[in-house]
Amino acid sequence: MLWEKIKGGMRIAALDAAASGAGLSVGQNVSDARALVPDLLVFEHDPDFTAHVFSEFADWHSNASPIVAVHDAMAPYGDLILDITGVAHLFGGEERMLATLTGRLRALGYTVHGAIADTVGAAWAFAHFDPGRIVPEGELEAQLADLSIHALRLGEDQVAGLSQMGLKSVGQLYGRDRKALQARFGAALVSRLDQALGLIEERVIPRLPIAEYHAERRFPEPIGYLDDVLMTVRDLAIQLGLRLGAEALGAQSFHLFLYRVDHKVMTLSVNAGRATRDPGHIAQLFVHRSERLEGEYDAGFGIDMIRLAAGSLSPTPDVQLGTFEVDDGAEDLTRLYDRMTSRLGPLAVVRSKPVDTHIPERAVKLESVVARTPDDPDALLDPPVRPLRLLPVPEPIEVMAEVPHGPPLRMVWRHISCRVLKASGPERIEAEWWRTGLGLGFLPPPPDPEKPEIPEDRAKKKVIVPRLEEHVSRLPTFDAASTVCDYYIVEDEAGRRFWVFRLGLYGAPTPPRWYLHGFFA
Amino acid sequence: MPRPKPDLDALRARIAALEKRPVLAEGAGSASRNRPGGEDDLLGLLKAPAGLLHEIFADEHRQSGTALGFTLGLAGSLITRSRQALIYLQLAAEAQEIGLPYGLGFSAFGLTPDRLVIGRIGTVPELLWALEEALACRAVAGVIVDLASHPKALDFTASRRIALRSAAAGTSAFLIRYGTGRQASAARLRWHVKAGASAGQPFDAGAPGNPRFNVEIEKLRLGQVRQAEQHHLILDWTENGFVSVDPRQHSLAPLRRPAPPPRPQPAALGHRLSQAG
Repeated sequence: MLWEKIKGGMRIAALDAAASGAGLSVGQNVSDARALVPDLLVFEHDPDFTAHVFSEFADWHSNASPIVAVHDAMAPYGDLILDITGVAHLFGGEERMLATLTGRLRALGYTVHGAIADTVGAAWAFAHFDPGRIVPEGELEAQLADLSIHALRLGEDQVAGLSQMGLKSVGQLYGRDRKALQARFGAALVSRLDQALGLIEERVIPRLPIAEYHAERRFPEPIGYLDDVLMTVRDLAIQLGLRLGAEALGAQSFHLFLYRVDHKVMTLSVNAGRATRDPGHIAQLFVHRSERLEGEYDAGFGIDMIRLAAGSLSPTPDVQLGTFEVDDGAEDLTRLYDRMTSRLGPLAVVRSKPVDTHIPERAVKLESVVARTPDDPDALLDPPVRPLRLLPVPEPIEVMAEVPHGPPLRMVWRHISCRVLKASGPERIEAEWWRTGLGLGFLPPPPDPEKPEIPEDRAKKKVIVPRLEEHVSRLPTFDAASTVCDYYIVEDEAGRRFWVFRLGLYGAPTPPRWYLHGFFA
Repeated sequence: MPRPKPDLDALRARIAALEKRPVLAEGAGSASRNRPGGEDDLLGLLKAPAGLLHEIFADEHRQSGTALGFTLGLAGSLITRSRQALIYLQLAAEAQEIGLPYGLGFSAFGLTPDRLVIGRIGTVPELLWALEEALACRAVAGVIVDLASHPKALDFTASRRIALRSAAAGTSAFLIRYGTGRQASAARLRWHVKAGASAGQPFDAGAPGNPRFNVEIEKLRLGQVRQAEQHHLILDWTENGFVSVDPRQHSLAPLRRPAPPPRPQPAALGHRLSQAG
């Protein structure tokens, strides 16, 4: 038995057959029920969790039909809709399909009712009020007429109103004045009736994307080993590749659905940098992707169906190299990046993309090599002298014998002091005021120097020199006083060159601080 | 009792075949044949043939820029029309220690920002996997691996594996390591790079000039055992590539200018990449 809180009281929300046989009913108080049945099993009802489990359960049914939806008009879970257009013959007819689908669920201990009808509304009505019915084409209106008006998916007050007027079955609504019905019971009644009769369309939103091209294989005996799965993927990739090749198409994303015996679907997706249909390559991407799975792969009691679907299709004609185009290895490279990305993760392999800004941290954006975006033509292609390496977070340095507004003479970084022999600069880099969107206005009062702001996560990190402040990038906020950076290229006595900057100005309320930002060759 | 010579030759040939040395010996031979003599010999090595495993050692983490600059100088000369990509691999956790390669700085080394693809990888085994995978690709000119730590997984066996892969595919591998300790490795060439005090700008002696490298070659196994007279070089990186600087003068005195480093290729008709860019 499940209970939920309704109006502050613990009420029974759902019962199984044994509990209802013991004389309990939905809506009863839990303490009353416990008094009636002492050995009652009581669980709290968690609608979100149930809905989640049910949606996974729904996905599993996509092994019967590609379009599967959870019907959530009446309850967030519990109603499953399959669009079986053109599918029933695979099961040997509609009757046998319904028997197979409901039978396999009953075998697992679920209570299940099913019906097949031309419309979503009618199917719902028969499944709930006359289960097992298969409505032949054209007889929908006649068969629906005998059902109670509850079958029209109406609200409780609508049902109460209709019963008061003596309208108890659907057939009694046929031919009534629609305007009067609408005025009295709302537009919902009329539209529900029309939906059930198929006069207006009702959309089914499939849970899984519908793949135009897919290949699948069913197993008489469930398989479990990952190696077997990957071998099947290779076979399926060959099938899929042939089908795509026949229409000169290539796909960029591939989804693998593993249907487990115990009603779960595992999905694996890989993306390719450019559209492909090479079976070897597709299979390899899944092999690399599966190596990143580690403990996540769990075949449960076995997998009885595998489906490989292709998405993001684009025309990919066969090309002949060597006539006008030179083989520059670009394809090999893309494949290498695909493989590396599928195994190492989408953000592991990146390229530097120049961005139109002069702020060093922002001037280069690291972008995944498999998801390239076009280059910004305004980006600085020939910037001023820039270091070869940049520290992700600038590290504070201690500067001694500093000349005001000049390069440091001696600096301490990571506990080692070095003397600066050569230096050039400063290169002043300020925040981009045009990005802030601020209009002309009065400057806010300068921040209180007594309270330096150190965010918690930064403070937790290993601080190299405890009394020096960590660098906190304030790029998004424009603050004229605190975002002035004077960059210097300094070379120490051993010839090492660093890119250091001073944050802030002399004479400001907060004294300027120095940071090391990068290394030159 | 003198052993019959043909047997010995046959054995040598077999060992060479096993070790894939003939390719290397040939490449090294052509590099040294053109320029006989101690220092020029080493300069020739800066344009070593492709398919070698190099180790580049810097003494400390704070010289990571120097090590990367020297490596880019070496690797840049390997870029050809059919091998256009350079791949740089680093452990993601070590980026703060040794810094992340910065695209806008590459132009000083003749590379466009997106020429160097950066791999930021979680673990050492994955890094080694990525390295082997990248070496096997025939469109990659060189793979640079930057390791701040000394992982146990990178032992002699692993380096031997890398060296064989690299020789088989003709893709060079560059291992940047730090510290003064040296482990056994199968690298053909081991460079020791130190930063040098630069000569200063021509118009401002107080400003840092062209990057200067103190390069020492610690290991040279290019097919034949050779004893170079001089193992030490002082190089400047200029816009014309590496230029040797006489260690006694410490001034800008280019002895010989190698060919300029590869720049982005000019547009060629019917060439896919250049049309796109």
